[in-house]
Amino acid sequence: LPASLGRGCLGRWLLGTRGWALLGTGTGIGSGSCSCSCRRWPHQPPLLLRAARQSIGTQAGGLKSAKPGGDSKDVSVQRALNEETLVSAAQKVKEAGRDFTYFIVVLVGIGVTGGLFYVIFKELFSSSSPNKIYGDALEKCRSHPEIIGVFGDSIKGYGEATRRGRRQHVSHIEYIKDGLKHMRLKFYIEGTESGKQGTVHVEVKENLETGRFEVRYIIVDVETYPRRTIVIEDNR
Amino acid sequence: MEEYAREPCPWRIVDDCGGAFTMGAIGGGIFQAIKGFRNSPVGVNHRLRGSLTAIKTRAPQLGGSFAVWGGLFSMIDCSMVRMRGKEDPWNSITSGALTGAILAARNGPVAMVGSAAMGGILLALIEGAGILLTRFASTQFPNGPQLSEDPAQLQPAPFSDYRQ
Repeated sequence: LPASLGRGCLGRWLLGTRGWALLGTGTGIGSGSCSCSCRRWPHQPPLLLRAARQSIGTQAGGLKSAKPGGDSKDVSVQRALNEETLVSAAQKVKEAGRDFTYFIVVLVGIGVTGGLFYVIFKELFSSSSPNKIYGDALEKCRSHPEIIGVFGDSIKGYGEATRRGRRQHVSHIEYIKDGLKHMRLKFYIEGTESGKQGTVHVEVKENLETGRFEVRYIIVDVETYPRRTIVIEDNR
Repeated sequence: MEEYAREPCPWRIVDDCGGAFTMGAIGGGIFQAIKGFRNSPVGVNHRLRGSLTAIKTRAPQLGGSFAVWGGLFSMIDCSMVRMRGKEDPWNSITSGALTGAILAARNGPVAMVGSAAMGGILLALIEGAGILLTRFASTQFPNGPQLSEDPAQLQPAPFSDYRQ
């Protein structure tokens, strides 16, 4: 918005310097508003604009009587002060009720937005989110020589396919065993060699001392015939 | 099925573009119908004709801008998936930010940054809502088979498939 206002000011200033006779009657008001907001320009343009406006006023036969903007502002402020004393108590209560409703709506909106932000931050930045574990496991798969040998150099990873075709959701299950939290993930990898697909199963266990998840095993099922299983890491 | 056997990505762009156009056209149609109805002279015939004219002129414009947003977003998303090699919520957020930035390119670099921030935040909220929905939907179903055993590939024994 500020950029467009600046450009509008510049445009009107250029119009003002070029040809006053070309301006229509409507632009007199426009250049008036521009002279108030063009304070940061050097002093010459506002003088030019004011001169332009006065000459347009007399040329167009006094369409808007050439009262400078300050007077009309004083009149409108005085009228508003007189009207305010007539607002009754009932209207004040109604307004307060309306303000309160708006306030509640704003609070609910902020709450919902904050909740969504919290969810997305936890998903992307916390080290115990399934997405993070999937990323780490994918990196380990990419640097394993046997996987590279089977699938090729660049390996793509993806999760479950939703209806729209986006495959961001990684299927995972959390469970508790012996008082510790475990999580199992399953995602798919695909290499440059066509037709070679693999399923990666990852299990992580919570480490109570560091509070993070550490890997228990990572295994890859290759969908060839006969089926082949590659064990990347096994820490059981 | 054939539609799951092919890669979603290039075809997803057309999908998203068309879906966005439909959303914009229908939403714009409803809004413009009400607006045109109200801004017409008195008399039901005048009002109906006014709302129809408003729909005919404005609804395709809104649909078009939605379609541009959706198509550009999907193109950038697919390019990022291709570059990074994995599908992530990060792709969506970055694509939203880049789409906002590109579509505000006429208004200078500062406007681009602001538009990028808005696009990124909007997409982050949408992704958060999507993640919440999938989590809630997956907890609706009863638990799968008990998983205390390790899978069979580590020891040669039959492995029962676990599904959510």
